[in-house]
Amino acid sequence: MLTYIIRRILILIPMAFAICFLVYLGLELTPGDAVSYMINPDALGSMNPEQLEALRQSLGLGQPFHVRFWVWFTNLLQGNFGYSTTGGVPISSIIATRLPATLELAGVALVISTVLGSLLGVFSALKRGTVTDSALTVIGMLGVSIPEFFFGLVAILVFGLNLGWLPVGGRSMPGDITFLDRLPHLVMPSLVLSIMLTAGVMRYARSSMLDALSRDFIKTARSKGLPEWRVNALHGFRVALTPVVVLIGFRLPVLIGGSVIIEQVFQWPGIGNEFISAVRSQDYPVVMSIALLTVMAVLLASLIVDVLTALIDPRVRLGA
Amino acid sequence: MKKLLALGMALLMSTTAIGTATAQAINENPLSDPRVRQAIAYAIDMDTIIETIFEGKAVRAVGLLPDGPNKPDDLNRYDFDPDKARALLAEAGWNADQELDVVYYYADQQTADLMAAMQAYLADVGMKMNYRILEGDVGAQISVPPADPVNGPSTFKWDILYGARAALALQEYFNRFGYGLMPTIPNVPEMNELVKKVNGSTDPAVQREGYFAMEHIINDKAYIIPLYYQQLFSYDSDRLDRHGAPYGNEQYNYNWGVENWTVTPDADGKSVLYTNAGPAQFFEVPWQNLGIWVHNKFAFDTILEADGALTPIGGEMAETYSVSEDGLTFTFTLKDGLTWHDGEPITAADVVFSIGAALKFPITNPVLAATLKKIEGAEDFVAGTADAVSGITTEGNTVTLKFASIDPNVLLSFSQFAPLPAKYFEGVDPLNLQQAPFWQKPIGSGPFKIEEVVMNDYTTLVPFEGYHKGTAKIEQIIARPSGDNDGNLLVNATAGKADFGYTKVASDVPALEALDFMNVHAVDIPYTRMIWINQFPKPAN
Repeated sequence: MLTYIIRRILILIPMAFAICFLVYLGLELTPGDAVSYMINPDALGSMNPEQLEALRQSLGLGQPFHVRFWVWFTNLLQGNFGYSTTGGVPISSIIATRLPATLELAGVALVISTVLGSLLGVFSALKRGTVTDSALTVIGMLGVSIPEFFFGLVAILVFGLNLGWLPVGGRSMPGDITFLDRLPHLVMPSLVLSIMLTAGVMRYARSSMLDALSRDFIKTARSKGLPEWRVNALHGFRVALTPVVVLIGFRLPVLIGGSVIIEQVFQWPGIGNEFISAVRSQDYPVVMSIALLTVMAVLLASLIVDVLTALIDPRVRLGA
Repeated sequence: MKKLLALGMALLMSTTAIGTATAQAINENPLSDPRVRQAIAYAIDMDTIIETIFEGKAVRAVGLLPDGPNKPDDLNRYDFDPDKARALLAEAGWNADQELDVVYYYADQQTADLMAAMQAYLADVGMKMNYRILEGDVGAQISVPPADPVNGPSTFKWDILYGARAALALQEYFNRFGYGLMPTIPNVPEMNELVKKVNGSTDPAVQREGYFAMEHIINDKAYIIPLYYQQLFSYDSDRLDRHGAPYGNEQYNYNWGVENWTVTPDADGKSVLYTNAGPAQFFEVPWQNLGIWVHNKFAFDTILEADGALTPIGGEMAETYSVSEDGLTFTFTLKDGLTWHDGEPITAADVVFSIGAALKFPITNPVLAATLKKIEGAEDFVAGTADAVSGITTEGNTVTLKFASIDPNVLLSFSQFAPLPAKYFEGVDPLNLQQAPFWQKPIGSGPFKIEEVVMNDYTTLVPFEGYHKGTAKIEQIIARPSGDNDGNLLVNATAGKADFGYTKVASDVPALEALDFMNVHAVDIPYTRMIWINQFPKPAN
């Protein structure tokens, strides 16, 4: 397994390079640049083109595409993420301040959706054909099909504005120091973010559990006279868990990307919000660094999923 | 008698001939025909558009300039008259198969609705148009004049641009009519002279004469078609008491008396003001958009002070100031004992540094930049051939600026100019001033100092003890990060987390007005939405 892991990590490097190159190329093909973003179009008629060109040159935007990409990439290899073009802030500092907010939001949402989704899915499978099963299936369908931002807006309207129970946005207020202080800010966005995930996990867990319950080893376990809860919990649930773990593993990077909208709706100061701002302002170094981070998260998540799958299901062997 | 009659007839015919000659296309582009442009102006029912699309939150524009003493009152209003539009198009021989390419650069829904309305109105008089939003480097697509300012060809392929002119000084509405600067209109010689006139005199009467003449020329030929004056909407909650401070043009610096404002204390007895305009990534250099960011206005003072209409009314950091009779020397003396928020004294050297940095900073506001560039030696300093601006001298707290030529906006510019503390910018290239670490938590000179910045989450400001106009009464300001075009404004306002702010988004206003604890004040500002018509021949490819 160690050889497999090392080989996969080595493969990650050219993959990450290729993906980063494509993202950079995509940005290059987008019209405009950071300087064109900095200036309000209403003021353009009065601006001095020579000075704007000087600004472009000073920010390194006058270099050819391949030179800029290579400079960025070689700096990265030396551990230097560079600086934001628009604000001059070190990107390592941007990531250090924004990423924890996103991980906090995504992590809580992942835990909620994993626990709740798995339990409800298994419960639904065990109650197959009943009203409970049907109700959970309908709820699952609604959860998957209604967009997150809609849930977000409804939650803000009900719990933030009408009932006034929870803050409508932001991650904290002045004086909030501990996690518990910030918790009221986290409740709505994390629950909303977890709705779609919970619904997805629940539907997956249900079908996986139903599949497991129809297997021969379950019949064998029952024929041995094991109590039903033990058949379900130890034999059925363990087997049903394998595809669910795969799903959850692949949700890790999706959570970072998927929280972009939730961060916008709830004014959450995370990496997704930053990414949107950077794309709008064509802040190449910031976009590239966040893109690289996401790429690495996806690739590492797939590696972790493979390893976890092998650990959970002894029939799976890594290697060849 | 017969001879006299013949002479009269000849004169009449020649006059008619001249009239006909001027009312026709001046090049191959049919939009260079004033009759076509006038037809467009008559075809669009702006009154209905304002009442419907803008829900009455805009003012019909007649002329480029906002209403006031510098605008003539006898301009043609071009009231909606589709029959007249059709007649003018017929007279001009408009080809009904020609499709106008209309471009714009605002991404909001109201603009899209306006484009659809314009399309329908023009279709009604027999003009086809399509519209599209410009992406990317908008400047390169709208503001590059042709190499030949008389014959073109144009550097663009589009026919009509919908945009705006937001002006600090009224000259900004017309300066593009200077020779070789206009991207859309073949040179108009009489306008060249008038532009020089309004920029070369500090006499309001002379300037007014120039504005009147330019407005008449533009209006008569429909060179540019003004559509509506955008208003600014300042909102404040019942918690806030401005103690009679005026509502002015919030996009700039004016005497808003913020140090006297009070808010109803919260449950803990603390006076906290919430606003919706904190920084998201960095504090912007206050020379680019001047007063547009409220947090900058809290934190920075300017040399002089203007009223809500941006008329200079006195000194802010300056104790005294004067302009010489010839208008070429401006002198001011800083108040004694002024300090930055870090306690260090504000000196004339800080002011001199700031003027130099603003000269080299590439995106300094154009009016301010124009003023500073007229200081003697400024060009050499910017070019790097001089280490200092020769026209600036200091003596103690007194700064003297000698100008190479008259600038009509010296006082206005310095009512908007906030000096920065020089010591924090040692080794910083003014080209990259915005990238300096200073802008993560700036040290200012204004009534409030920045207390805590959690970038993209909130910023808090507290009163600057010992502020020269008196310590502010509000104990803390909490600013969430967003601008005036942010969907979260209404959410925050409804939740009671936006006691003060402004917006130019007309569609936000009815929702703000619907909040029974919110007061909304419409403020007329020099901000004219208009269409520019490309009257040059089109480029070959």
